[in-house]
This record gives sequence, structure tokens and C-alpha cells, in this order.
Amino acid sequence: MNTELTTPVNSNPIQIGKILCVSTGVALLLAVGLGFVYVKNQQFAIGEQIRQTERKIHQVRAENDVLLAKVTELTSRPALQQQVKSGYIAVVNITGDKIARLTPPVQATEDGILRTAFNEASRQ
Amino acid sequence: MRFTANTRIGIACGVAASIFTLFSARLIHLHVAKHDEYSRLAAKKHSIRQVIHAKRGMILDCHGEILATNLPVRTVTADASRMKNPEALAALAASHLGLDGKEVLNKFSTGKKYIVLKREVPEETAMALWNEMQKQKLKGLYLEQDAVRIYPNGEVLGHVLGFLDHEGKAVQGVEMSMNGQLAGKDGYRFIERDRTGREIVLYRGLEEEPEHGKNVRLTIDMGLQSIVEEELDAAFKDLKPETANAVLVNPKTGAILAMACRPCFNPNEPGKAKPEQMKNRSIIDMVEPGSTFKIVVASGALNEGKVDEKTSIFCENGRFAYGGRILKDHHGYGHMDVHEILVKSSNIGSAKMALMMGGDKFYEYVRRFGFGQRLGVELPGEIPGLVHPPARWDKLTITRMPMGHSIAVTPLQITMGMSVIANGGRLMTPTIIDSVETETGEVAVKKNPVLMREVVPEKTARYVADALVGVTQPGGTAAFARVNGFQVAGKTGTAQKVSPSGGYAAGKYVVSFVGFMPAEDPSFVLLVMVDDAKIASNLNYGGLVAAPIFSRIAERAARHLDLTPNMPPIPLQPAPIASAATMQERDN
Repeated sequence: MNTELTTPVNSNPIQIGKILCVSTGVALLLAVGLGFVYVKNQQFAIGEQIRQTERKIHQVRAENDVLLAKVTELTSRPALQQQVKSGYIAVVNITGDKIARLTPPVQATEDGILRTAFNEASRQ
Repeated sequence: MRFTANTRIGIACGVAASIFTLFSARLIHLHVAKHDEYSRLAAKKHSIRQVIHAKRGMILDCHGEILATNLPVRTVTADASRMKNPEALAALAASHLGLDGKEVLNKFSTGKKYIVLKREVPEETAMALWNEMQKQKLKGLYLEQDAVRIYPNGEVLGHVLGFLDHEGKAVQGVEMSMNGQLAGKDGYRFIERDRTGREIVLYRGLEEEPEHGKNVRLTIDMGLQSIVEEELDAAFKDLKPETANAVLVNPKTGAILAMACRPCFNPNEPGKAKPEQMKNRSIIDMVEPGSTFKIVVASGALNEGKVDEKTSIFCENGRFAYGGRILKDHHGYGHMDVHEILVKSSNIGSAKMALMMGGDKFYEYVRRFGFGQRLGVELPGEIPGLVHPPARWDKLTITRMPMGHSIAVTPLQITMGMSVIANGGRLMTPTIIDSVETETGEVAVKKNPVLMREVVPEKTARYVADALVGVTQPGGTAAFARVNGFQVAGKTGTAQKVSPSGGYAAGKYVVSFVGFMPAEDPSFVLLVMVDDAKIASNLNYGGLVAAPIFSRIAERAARHLDLTPNMPPIPLQPAPIASAATMQERDN
């Protein structure tokens, strides 16, 4: 049986339940919308942070590479030889008794005569 | 014909359904089947393809010493359409980059979206400019990532390493031959920018990481290379030759331990070098080898059984008439065996051995020793030399080729030829690449020694090696090649220079010494070649010019390699002072 047909035509009751239902729906929609906007904003902010961090990483890597290149140049053979020549660093001879050999030389003499060039003198 | 209401409704619904189905089908077609195509089109319209540059790999020596690396730099660009205060920006850029302010402002006034202000700006300068720009809240300048190749050792090993041109293209040397491994592969990323020009990270599109270049480890030992370069420098300064070069090889593996040429160039500044300085003469210069070539005929004749250890060959007392011409020796020799022929470097004895072998057989041995062919070293531009087949020989060739004339070879070929004797008759493929490594140091490719062929049996090689020890003993042609504490085997070479206009250039010689040490178990083979040394012509011989250089390098190399001396000390004797000064004195 349809009960609504029996309701008087001039009555206008406030249907609290329906209003609440619609309001809740609208509020939810609003919350979702705002949430979406918030999340989007957060995403952009995080994206910006990612960009800044990437820039910093890149910067640090570049600085590291520059320093590595500088170290390589400063420790290169010609640079070290130049420093030896200028007396900035010195090469100290290691005496025979300070060298630990796994396979001791068979006939090498202590004074190293055997290792002198045959015609080294001719260069002078 | 009248339709019922239900039929009409059915038709209307059917038409509507068909239309929607068509639209749906089209939609699916666009979204699924054509997805990639339209994505690309959309990306093209809105996205920018940002290249992520791959880092070029380093070149290392066998101990990991860096020979070539990268220095990060920046390219400063400008977008005039985004500038709000071009005057201030021009002043700032000019002051940091050392440019003329007016010129910079003129460039900005063109309104172009991409203006290159300066390339190869050091990282520190670029960052200082960027920070100042941020501080003053200016916009419109951008820093692009770039790198320049640097060679910390300058001229040392320049010919072997090669260099990159201004476009970053590998031009010669290992840089060129190993470019595929060194270069890597650039990556990319599709990005979108906001109206201020900043990237919107959220809308990053397709991305591919760069594949960084691999590091290439050479067989070169920088310790030995420095020794060779220093001694070659000293000789170049002292003797003032046109060119000089040296090659140091491990005969057992074919690994090139050092390779140097003079004149040389600095790969950091290739623009300042002349073409003549840039040639790696060890692989692209052809020379007549002279007497060093006698090892080929001696090995061949012994191996073919045409001569043995006791065979006595009459050396015509220094004058041998053949083919209507006289072939001469330095001194008149009578009967000599193969050992003595090598020790005394008899041209006539060598020619007679070649005649015994016959042209075809001799030619076969020449080719078996690796002459007349590219040896396959991993360096660009290697030439095969010039060895004519017997069909193109004239009457005299068979007597001239055994003493290293009528043939043109590269210094590397001479070195590898001697390596055959040092390595028990086995010819190894010369190699300069040890391995290819990833950025983290893992070995991606390891090159193992490659045997090219067995040229002669070990017994024959041993006999020739013993004879070559005699060459460096008192009475031999290269007594100045000796090294205290070690037995040295080797052969001198003195060849008249070929004139560009034909024939030989009078008074100009290419002198060389190629030897190995220790003779009984060689650790290295070393060639020293000096072209047209400015010294008195009576001193311009391989035994007097190249042999002392060999001795000095070999002695220092023995220390570097920690070789144990096994011979008693020998008395010192002064080497002839064969220098430019001598030449000047003689001229005066």
C-alpha cells in the first residue's frame, strides 16, 4: 500500500533525514575536493623539494668531480716531479735492510753496484 | 509502411546505441591502439626532452693511475624572453664571466630564447654567478651541464691517449679506438615547465637513465712510460734528431708497457700542436729497419735447415758482387757461422743465407714475423708497412732485404719481430688494452694474451737469442747496450734515410737498437729508434746512438720491475759523446 498518497497535500514537513543525508554528501564531496587540492599542492611542494634536492646532489657530485680532477692533477707524475725538482717534496732512499723481500735477490750486493747503469756516466 | 510504437522506439534506441558504440570504439582506438602515437604528439607539444649527459669513462694505466678524466664545467645560456631586468643581468653576467657588458646586453636585446653566453665555465664561477642571480632575484640565465677532458700527465703518452676535439668527438689514440666503451649513452627525461621556466616535477614524463662510459685500463705502466719519456727527452735534446721513438713490450703477452714518440704534443691543448707532432710514429711511420732485420733471415735459414750452428759461410772479405752491384760489409770478413754473422752484422753473410733459402721461402718468413701486415694493436691508424712479394722484386732485392733495405716496416713491427725471438719463437698480438671496467671497478671485459702464430721452433729462437747476446758483448756491434748485472740480447740497425724525391738522402740515417732483457728469461723487449741525429756521421750508428739510450732505459726499467741481477759487475766504460755539440765542433 502506498502511504504517501494518504499524506495531506498542504503539509510541508522538514525531512531532516534527507537534509542530513544531502549535507553529509556535500560535505564529503567538499572534503574530498579540498583533500584533492591539498594533496595536489603537497605533490607540487614535494616535487619542488625533489627538484631542489636533485640540484643539491648534482651540485655536490659536480664539486666532488672537480675536486677529484684537481687531486688527479696535483698527484700526477709531472706535478710530483716538479715538486721534487723545486724541493717542495723530497725522495728519501730506502736502505736495503729496510726492505722486506719475499724472494731475496740471489746475487745482489749490499751497495747496489750491480744495479748501476753500464753507461750512466756518459750522460754527464 | 507504418511502424508500431515499439518498433520506432527500438529503431531510435538502436541508432543511438550504434552511434554510442561507434564513439566508444573510436575512443578505445584512440586510447588503446593509438596511445603511444598520441602520447608522443602530446609530449612533443608540452614536454621538453631534457638530455641527461653520460659521463665519459676514464683511461687508467695498468696500476690504476688516471691518464684521462673529466672536469665538470658549465655552459652559461640565456633566455631573453624571460628577463625582467636585462641591464642588471648583463652587468652581472659580464662581471662573472669576464665578458664585455655591452656585447652581452646586445645579445639580450635580440629577444632570442636560447643565447649561449660562454662555454667551459668553471663550476665555481658558474655557481657564484647563479647564487648572485638568486640573491638579486634576477631571471633569465641558465647553467647547462658539460665536461672537458683533461690529461693530468700532459705530453706524456699523448700519442697513445689521443684527445677529444671541441665538439667532444674522439680524434685519435685510445680515445678514438675505445670510444664505444668510453662514451657511454646519454639518457633523457621529458619535462614540463611552468610559466617562470621552472620544471614541474609532478609532470615528469618518460625517463631513461644515462649509461655512463666504462673505464679503460691500459697495459701501459706509467713507471716505465716515465722512464722511457725522460730518456727519450734527454736524447731528443742532446742529439736533435728529426724524430725519436721507443716501444717497450712484454714479449710473453704482447702487452705494450710503454710507447713514446718525439716530437710530441699536449692532448690538453691539441689546437697548439702541428700535425707532425701528433703522429704516433710507432705505428704509422714506415722505416727501413736496417740490420735489426737480420734476425729474420737467420731464423728462417736455421729453421729451413739451409744452415746449422756449424755451417760456415764465406763473407767474401767484405765485397760481394751480385746482380751487377757490389754488396759491402763494414769490415772484410772471411768464413763465419750464423752466430758470428749476427754478432758482426755481416750484410754479405745475411744475403747469402737469403740466397740459400730462395726468395719465396725468405718472403714467407718475413710475413710470418709479422712484417707487411697490421698487427692489430688497438690504436687507430696502424699501417701494414711495405713488403713486396717476390714477383715484384728486382735482382738485388734478395740480397738487400735481409739487411733491412727494400722493405718498410713500423717500429712496432720491429719490436714484435724481436719479441718472437725473446718469446721462444711465438708471435703474440700486440695489445695496449688490459681491460674494460664499469664505474664501480668491476671488470666488464678482460683481454687475454693472443698467440698470433708460432713463427719458429723454440730451439731456433734460442740459438738466435744466444747469438744476439754476443751482439752486446765486447767485440759486438752494441757493447754500449749492456746493463750491469744482466745479460742483454739485441741487434743494432743503421739504415740510410729514404729521400722523398727518390733514392737515399746522403748523410741521413735512421739508427736503432732493439733488444730484450734478461736474455735468459726476457721481461721486456725495447726498441729505441733515432731518425737523423745531428751528430758526426762517423758516430751515427745504432750501436753508438741508440744502444746507450737502450742501456739507460733498460737499467732503470730493471729497477722498476725489481729484476734480480744474475751477472757479475762489468767494468764501466764511457760511451761516445754523440751529441749535437760534437757535430757543431766538427763543423767549426
